[in-house]
Amino acid sequence: MHSLTTDIVLRSLGQVGSTVLAILAGVIVLETAIYLIFGKLLKHRHTLPIMLLAPAAIGLLALIVYPIIYEVVLSFSNMSLFTFRNPKFGLMYAERNFGDVFTQPVLKLVHFLPVFLRTVLWTTIQVTFHVTFGMILALLLNRPMKLRGLYRTLLIVPWAIPQVVAVLAWRGEFQFEYGFLNIVLRDIGLHGIEWKSSPFWNFVAINITNIWLGVPFMMVILLGGLQSIDKTYYEAAEMDGAGPWRRFRDVTLPLINPVLTPAVILGVIWTTNNFNVPYFINEYNLESSEILVTALFRAAFDYSRFGFSAAFAIVIFLILLIFAVIYIRFSGLESVMGRSVQKPVPAGIGRKTATRSPKGPRGEVRT
Amino acid sequence: MSTIRSRSPKGVGVMRRFFVRSRGDSPFQRTLIHIALIIACVIAVYPALRILTVSLRPLNILMSTSLAIIPQGATLKNFATVFAQTDFVRWIWNSLIITLSTAIVGVIIASTSAYAFSRWSFPGRTGALVFLLATQMIPAAMLMIPLYILSARLGIINSWRGLVIAYSVQAVPFSIWILKGYYDTVPYELEQAAMIDGASRMGSFYRIILPLSTPALAIVFLFNFMQAWNDFLLARIMLQKSELLTWPLGLQTMQGQFQTQWGNFSAAALMISIPVMILFFFSSRWLVSGLTLGSVKG
Amino acid sequence: MKKVLLVLSLFLLATFAAFATGSQEPKAAGPVSLSMWTQESENENSYQYVQSLIAGYVKDHPTVAIHLLQKGTEALRQDFLTASLAGQAPDFLWTVSDHAGPFTAAGVIQPVGKLFDLSKYVASAVDAVRLDGQEWGVPISNGNELMLLYNKSLVPTPPQNTDELIKMGRALTKDGVYGLVFNQVEPFWLVPWLGGFGGKVFADDGTTPTLNTPQMVSTLQFLYDLKYKYQIIPKESDYAAMDSLFKTGKAAMIINGDWSLGEYQKLLGDMLGVARIPKVSATGLWPAPYTSGKFFMLSKDLAGDKLAVVKDFVNWATDKDNQLTMVKDLARLPALKVALSDPLITSDPILKGAAEQMTVGTPMPIVVQMRAVWDAMKPEMNAVLSSSESPAAAAAKMQQAAVTGIQNMH
Repeated sequence: MHSLTTDIVLRSLGQVGSTVLAILAGVIVLETAIYLIFGKLLKHRHTLPIMLLAPAAIGLLALIVYPIIYEVVLSFSNMSLFTFRNPKFGLMYAERNFGDVFTQPVLKLVHFLPVFLRTVLWTTIQVTFHVTFGMILALLLNRPMKLRGLYRTLLIVPWAIPQVVAVLAWRGEFQFEYGFLNIVLRDIGLHGIEWKSSPFWNFVAINITNIWLGVPFMMVILLGGLQSIDKTYYEAAEMDGAGPWRRFRDVTLPLINPVLTPAVILGVIWTTNNFNVPYFINEYNLESSEILVTALFRAAFDYSRFGFSAAFAIVIFLILLIFAVIYIRFSGLESVMGRSVQKPVPAGIGRKTATRSPKGPRGEVRT
Repeated sequence: MSTIRSRSPKGVGVMRRFFVRSRGDSPFQRTLIHIALIIACVIAVYPALRILTVSLRPLNILMSTSLAIIPQGATLKNFATVFAQTDFVRWIWNSLIITLSTAIVGVIIASTSAYAFSRWSFPGRTGALVFLLATQMIPAAMLMIPLYILSARLGIINSWRGLVIAYSVQAVPFSIWILKGYYDTVPYELEQAAMIDGASRMGSFYRIILPLSTPALAIVFLFNFMQAWNDFLLARIMLQKSELLTWPLGLQTMQGQFQTQWGNFSAAALMISIPVMILFFFSSRWLVSGLTLGSVKG
Repeated sequence: MKKVLLVLSLFLLATFAAFATGSQEPKAAGPVSLSMWTQESENENSYQYVQSLIAGYVKDHPTVAIHLLQKGTEALRQDFLTASLAGQAPDFLWTVSDHAGPFTAAGVIQPVGKLFDLSKYVASAVDAVRLDGQEWGVPISNGNELMLLYNKSLVPTPPQNTDELIKMGRALTKDGVYGLVFNQVEPFWLVPWLGGFGGKVFADDGTTPTLNTPQMVSTLQFLYDLKYKYQIIPKESDYAAMDSLFKTGKAAMIINGDWSLGEYQKLLGDMLGVARIPKVSATGLWPAPYTSGKFFMLSKDLAGDKLAVVKDFVNWATDKDNQLTMVKDLARLPALKVALSDPLITSDPILKGAAEQMTVGTPMPIVVQMRAVWDAMKPEMNAVLSSSESPAAAAAKMQQAAVTGIQNMH
C-alpha cells in the first residue's frame, strides 16, 4: 500500500517536472538551431513556420513515423513465438505474411473478408445512428427552453465517463442473470437474451454500447453547428413559405455540412479503429464479433504472430487511407481540411468580404 | 428556392427571431420535446447510475436482480476499502500530474503548429495536412511494440518520461485540426494591424490570436486531457513499476484472474469518473461552440 | 539579444541539472535491486501474501530490494515477451505453469534444474514444468484443480457419480435455485469431464491435438444435456455468475477450484463440503481436472549477483515454514514434500478433499500449443451450450481451429 506521502509527491513532481523541462530545453535548442541555420544562414522565407512546426514534426516522427517503419520492416520478417530472438528478414516472408492476411484465417477460423465486411457494417451502423440520434437531439435542444442546460449536461454523461469504465459497466449489464437489460425483459414477460454467447446478439450488444457512447459527441458537434446558423435564414425560408421539413433540408443541412462532413469522416475513422468496445464486450471471444483492429490485437498479442500482424496492420491502415483519398478526391480537400490559407488582404477592404468564403451555402459562387 | 438574404439589421432581426421562434413551438410541441429529452436523459444516465448501485452494495450480496438505484443495505464500505487497501490515491495523483502537464504541453505544441498551417502556404503543406489526417487511421495495436522498443532503447522506460512525451504528442494532430479551423476564421487584418503598430509576427500571435481563441484552446486542452487521462494501452507498455501506475492500470489490478471484487471496482471507477465529469461540465459551455467554430462562420 | 542567449544558456544548464537529479531513482539500500512480476491478485488475497513474503525477506536482508509488479495473467504473458524483446524483462516471475510453454518457445526464461534441488518438491509439481527434458520453474504451490464444492445445508451427501448428480440436481433445481453451476465459458471447466469420458486433448506426443474424438463429442453432449435435457444448470453462467449464485445460496453445488476455498469457507463455514467431481456413470472413470500450480521462473538474462540473491530468496520462500503459512493463508496445497505431510493438511477436511481430488487429476499441458487448444475449445464449447451447434460439428471445428492455430504459431 503506497500512500501518498510528501516524499512521493515531491519525487513524482520532480520526475514529471524534469521531463517537461527537458522537453522545453530540447525545443529551445531545436528552435535556436533552426533559427540560426534557416534564418541567418540560408535566409529561408519560411523560417518562422518551420520553427513553429518543428516540435510537432519531431514528436510525430518519433511517435508515428518510427513505429510505421518498424512495422513495415517487421512485416518482412517471420517473427513469431518460435523465432522470437532471431527473426529472419526477407522478401519471401513479406510475400508470405501479406498473402496470409488474405488467404489464411486471420485468427483461428475466420478469414479476412468476413472480418472486413463486418467492420464495414459496424462502421456504417454506428455512424448512421450517431448522426441520426445526434441530429435529433441537437434539433430538440436548439431552442431556448427551461432546463436546457440540465438536459445538455445529462446527455453528455456517456462521453464524460472514461471509456474503459463505461465499457466494463455495460459488459456487466449484458450478463444473462444480473444485467439490467435482461431483468427488464423478464419483468415485461419476455425471455432474457444471451448477449454474450449468441453471435447475433453479441454483435447487437457491441453496437448498443457504442451508440450509447458515441451519440453525445455527435450531438455536441451538431448543436454547435446548428447554433451558428444565422436565424435569419430560417426566417427568410419561412417567409418564402417553406415548412419545417423543407427548412431542414434546404437551410439546415447545407449550412451544417462544413461541420457535419469532418465529423462524419472522423467518426468513420475512429469507429473503424475502435478497440475498447468490441474487445471487451466480446467476453467469450466469439470470432463472429471481431472487427479488424481487435483481430489485429489478438494476432499480435494472443498468438504472438508479430510478422503476420505487422502485415495485417499495414493492410488495415492502407484501407483507411484509400477510403480517405477517395473521399477527398470526391468532395475536395476543403471539406475535410478547412479553407486554404488566408491571403493577407490589402488594407482598406472591409472585414466582411475578407471572411466570407467565395462559395455560398449551397455551393453557388458568390460575386 | 429563391434567394436567401444573408444579412439583416440586428434590431429587426431580434424582433423577428423572437416571434418566429415562439410561433414555432406550441405548448403541445413543447411538452413532446421535453418528454423526448427526458427519455434521452434517462437512457444516457441510467447505465452510469448502475455503477453507483454496484458500488453501494454490501459485499455479501454480489449481484442481485433488483433494479433499485440505491440497493438494500447500501453502504459506503467499498469506497472506504478502495481508499484504505489499494493505492487508489496514488493512481489518481499519478494520472493527474501526468495528464495536466501533457495537456499543457500538447496545447502549446498544437497552437503554434496550427498557426503555421493557418497563416502560411509553404511547400508540403497539403501533404502535411493529409499526414495529420492519416495519423488518426493508425490502429493503436500497431504502435505498441515499436514504441516500447524505442522507449527502452532511449532509456525512458520505467519512468514517466516516455509516457509524458508520448501523451504530449498523441493528441496533436486532432488538436491542430481544430485550432487551424478556428484560426482560419480570425481575419488576418487583426495581425496586420498589430504589425503595423510595431508588433512582431509572433507577438501578434501571442497578443491577439491566442486571447481570441480561448474557446478553441479550452476544447483542445480538454481533449488532450481526456486522451491522456483515459489512456490504457500506452501506459501499460511503458509503466513497469507498481508505484508509477496510472488509474487505468490500477483499476486493472483490481480484476483478479477469476474473481473481481465488483463492489470495490465500481467504487473506484466512480471516483475516477468524477474529476473528469467535473472538468467536462465546467467546460461544457465552450464544448458546444468550440468544436464547430471556424467551420460554419461565413 | 545577447542577454536572451545568456538567460537561455543558464536556463538550459539548470534544466539539465534538474534532469540529472530527477533521474536518480530512489537507490536501494544496498547493492542488489530485483524486480519481480506476479499475476497473483489482491482479490484472491494472494497478492498480499506475496508482498508479506517479500517484506519478510527484505527485513532479514537489508541490502536487497525487491520491486513487485502485479499484472493480469494474460497481460503478464504478453508484456513479459515484449519486455524481453527490448531487453527490459524483470528478473524473475511468480506465475502460472502454462506460461512456461510460450516463454521457452521464445527463449526468454532459463532452466532451473541445475540451480535448485528440485527433489524436495512434489514430483507432480516438478513434472508440470518439464519441457524438452528440462525443468523451467521452481514450484510454489500445487493444485489449482477443480473440485465439486457443495452446500451441506442443501446437499447433505455429495453425489458419487453423474447419475446421482443428475437426480439430485433435478430435485434441487426449483424456485430460482440451481442444482449445479459451473463456469460455462472457460474450457478449463470442460477438461475434467473430457477426462471422465476417457478423452485427452493431445496425442501421446504431447503436441498433436486430438479434439475431434468420440470422447469429446460425448463430453459436449453431456454438458448440453445438463442444460437442456436435465435442466440443472443456468442458461448462461460465467465465473462471476456462478460465484454469486453459490455464495447467495442459489446454487447447491459448484465446480470451482482451490483458489475459491478461502472465500467460501469464510461464508459457509462448516456447511462447505469438498468432494471429487462425480464419476461418469457411462464410463466409470473419475473426471480428471488439470492440476498445475504457481512457479518461480527466472529470466534468461538473470545472472551473477542477482541470480545468487534470487536463488536464496526462492529457497527461503519455499521452505517449510513459509509453505505452511501459505497453506493457512491461501488454502493452497504446498509444493514442498515435507509440508504436504504436515498434520495441518491431513487434519483439515477441506484440504483433505482438495488433495483427494488431486490424486485423480492430470497435469495440465504447458506446451505452447496448448494455447491454440484452449482457444479452439472455448468458442465451440460456448456454441454447444448455447445450442447453436451440434456436439459433433463443434468437435470437428475445434480440431480444425487447433490445427490452424498451431500452424500459425510458426
